[in-house]
Amino acid sequence: MEKVLSKIAEVTSDPYGYVAGLKERKNKKIIGCFPMHVPEEIVHAAGLIPVVIWRGNEPVTWGHAHVPPYDCGITRSFVDDAVRGKLSFMDGFVFHIRQCLQAGEFPFIMERHFKPAYQKILYLPAIYPGDATRDFALKELESFKTSLEDFTGNMISDDSLKKSIEIYNKNRSLMERVYEIRRAKPEILKAKEVMQIVWSGMLMPKEDHNELLAELISGMEEKSITPQKERIKVILVGCLCQTLQFDILDLIEDLGMIVPDDDLYIGSRYFANPVNLNGNPMKALADRYLTKSPLCPTKGVWDIHWGDEAIKRMRDNDAKGIISVRVKYCPPHTCYYPDFRSKMAEEGVTEVMIEMEHEIISLEGVKTRLQSFAETIGGV
Amino acid sequence: MDAKYKVNRLQTTNEIRPLVDKHWADLRTAKERGELVAWASGPSFIFAYAMGMKCHFMAGYAAYCGGIGAGEEVLKVAEMAGDLPETCSYHRLHMGMGEAVARGIPINPQAILPMPDLMVAGRLCPEMSHYAEGLHRRFGVRVLPIDLPAVVDMEDMPRIREFVYRQFKEVVIPTFEEVCGKPFDYDRMSEILSVLKKVATLRNQCWEFFKDKPSRWTLWDYGVSIAPVFYLMGNPAGVAYYEKLLKELQERREKGIPAIAPDGEKYRLYWDGWLPWAFLGKFMRKFIPHGAVVLCGRYPWEFFPHPELIDPEHPVETWADLYYGMESHLVYTFSPKGTVDLIGKLIDDYSLDGLIMFSSKTCRVMNLAQPEVIDVLDKKYGIPGVIVEGDMIDSAMISDAQIETRLQALYEMIDSRRR
Ligand code: SF4
Ligand code: SF4
Repeated sequence: MEKVLSKIAEVTSDPYGYVAGLKERKNKKIIGCFPMHVPEEIVHAAGLIPVVIWRGNEPVTWGHAHVPPYDCGITRSFVDDAVRGKLSFMDGFVFHIRQCLQAGEFPFIMERHFKPAYQKILYLPAIYPGDATRDFALKELESFKTSLEDFTGNMISDDSLKKSIEIYNKNRSLMERVYEIRRAKPEILKAKEVMQIVWSGMLMPKEDHNELLAELISGMEEKSITPQKERIKVILVGCLCQTLQFDILDLIEDLGMIVPDDDLYIGSRYFANPVNLNGNPMKALADRYLTKSPLCPTKGVWDIHWGDEAIKRMRDNDAKGIISVRVKYCPPHTCYYPDFRSKMAEEGVTEVMIEMEHEIISLEGVKTRLQSFAETIGGV
Repeated sequence: MDAKYKVNRLQTTNEIRPLVDKHWADLRTAKERGELVAWASGPSFIFAYAMGMKCHFMAGYAAYCGGIGAGEEVLKVAEMAGDLPETCSYHRLHMGMGEAVARGIPINPQAILPMPDLMVAGRLCPEMSHYAEGLHRRFGVRVLPIDLPAVVDMEDMPRIREFVYRQFKEVVIPTFEEVCGKPFDYDRMSEILSVLKKVATLRNQCWEFFKDKPSRWTLWDYGVSIAPVFYLMGNPAGVAYYEKLLKELQERREKGIPAIAPDGEKYRLYWDGWLPWAFLGKFMRKFIPHGAVVLCGRYPWEFFPHPELIDPEHPVETWADLYYGMESHLVYTFSPKGTVDLIGKLIDDYSLDGLIMFSSKTCRVMNLAQPEVIDVLDKKYGIPGVIVEGDMIDSAMISDAQIETRLQALYEMIDSRRR
């Protein structure tokens, strides 16, 4: 287990070096998929390596001249990386530009500063009523597939797509198992380690990640845990598109709380909902995108409530409160948040919101908020 | 700075306010008359008008609130209700108004609207979905959502046009029929489009006066005249308004009267982004003493540059084509590529000296690529540009000192290139 975790930590501590090395080792092209909804399986089936774009580990420098300070962290970090040439090992990019306004202007910036060999814009629809939505989602995915075929010169057959989907589904079920064990024995992994496990899966070929997960799971199954003291369980929610600073995760634990489960993008949302393998694989991928739960505030869903989902997760895990992690300047989450909070108040759930910026200004403010939250739910 | 400049105000633009006031007053009292009310965002209100509903328009309401000075108090209510200041100010305004009504918080009565029987959420920008979702969750408003993707590459246009058209036919029209309890009124939609065609044609003739040197009017005049082509669509008063405006501009040309006295402008500027509705006067006071005039822009121009393509005989098809047709493609001007094409033409045709890119801190629909657009155009045309940060409504997002500094820098860059 320790060996696997240290391998995973190695990948996530230097995603640039890791992905660049991967390209060499596998002798395959790398396609950066901007989070959160690009169906990586199609890229995989094209014989390319899809990796999910990440928020970098350095403060924005050159990027200041290209991106306003009131855009979200991953936007600022990604543009900064791109204009500084830090992503030169990538061969192409895919942007689903309808998830939020930030993503819409990436293609233009990339064309000017990066000139990727491959670039694809997806317009995946909001999940609105009517057959037109599903048909259009499918057409978008078809056009994505065609663009990859044109790029590689190889056709993507239904069989090869199904094989890719199987590998991805396997990854989802392994991740689900990791979470299941964590729910039963929350002390088994630190919150930071869980985030690293999910994140590494966004960077590594899924085949390699699956091997690591299998080893990790057997270690986790064998390991018995005796909780040293009663810790207060909390659920983390939100943090769209980007990794949460590990310091904040450590802080939560240092304050006597423990995270048995989460509703984070770099968390349980990423591997939720396997793709149905019966029938047409493209349709199945469209259906996965069009699944309303776990609710993503970028998808225009309003007949279910994000707050209800979070509360259910909290209760299922016997947790005592919810920590909302809101990426600063992320409109989809920001617009939803007041209603999320009202729902918490209505249901008598204790919740606190912490804002996540790319450059941490001060951990002190976060600590104070978390401290009083922990006190309220009966922690330290 | 030379203090000699002052504005030559147009007479006709004084007539817009009563038209706009009447529109909102009619909407406020619609329920009393037993009329159905819709709210709309994106280009979706035409369907409500065709069905005889009174209809609000998201951006129009924001402009109106800004214009009547009600923006700040409504935004405060939103904040009190938990909306975060970094949220789009148009969104916050609607939440604030809804909350004020629901909680009985007194605000300017002119800013209060009846809750709609149907909200048509045209999701041109994802925020337009978020605000409709919020209104539904908080106040139980019935929502008719339509996805209206902004298109960044012309090659994507045909399949998106098809998607949009299908939503009109398969979702929008049946929903209106259900809500109104009658068949969709295609004839009325055709009539509205016939009036629009006339108004937009006249408006575009007026636009040509920006080519005059000195200019006969400013983008601010053009902006305040927007209602007849937009949320007053189909109202014949719009035709009369633009006929009169055209006549006044023609007279100015004949008599040699410029937009700013005594001899016209020193700097001819482009304005990018939404108009700062609550701060039109503030910005004007920063332009005029320097002899600067803003002439053209991306936002108010984007509506109906090709009225000749409006075909009232095929109302639903034409509505889809105006936004998503290969010839008209209004949605493309939102994209950076479309912007570069558009501004490039404007620089040549309107003898522009510089670009002001208005970057709204709460609306990210255009601002990410603005530095790039400045760079591309500077390299290609040798025209400098600056970014001015602010907001359309929220004064907390406006810094006078920053605006002054950026504008001063622009004037100096233009001067130095002239030398
Ligand atoms: S974090 Fe939010 S604003 Fe940023 S790219 Fe993701 S969805 Fe968009
Ligand atoms: S974010 Fe901008 S484009 Fe979107 S609704 Fe708000 S003001 Fe309009």
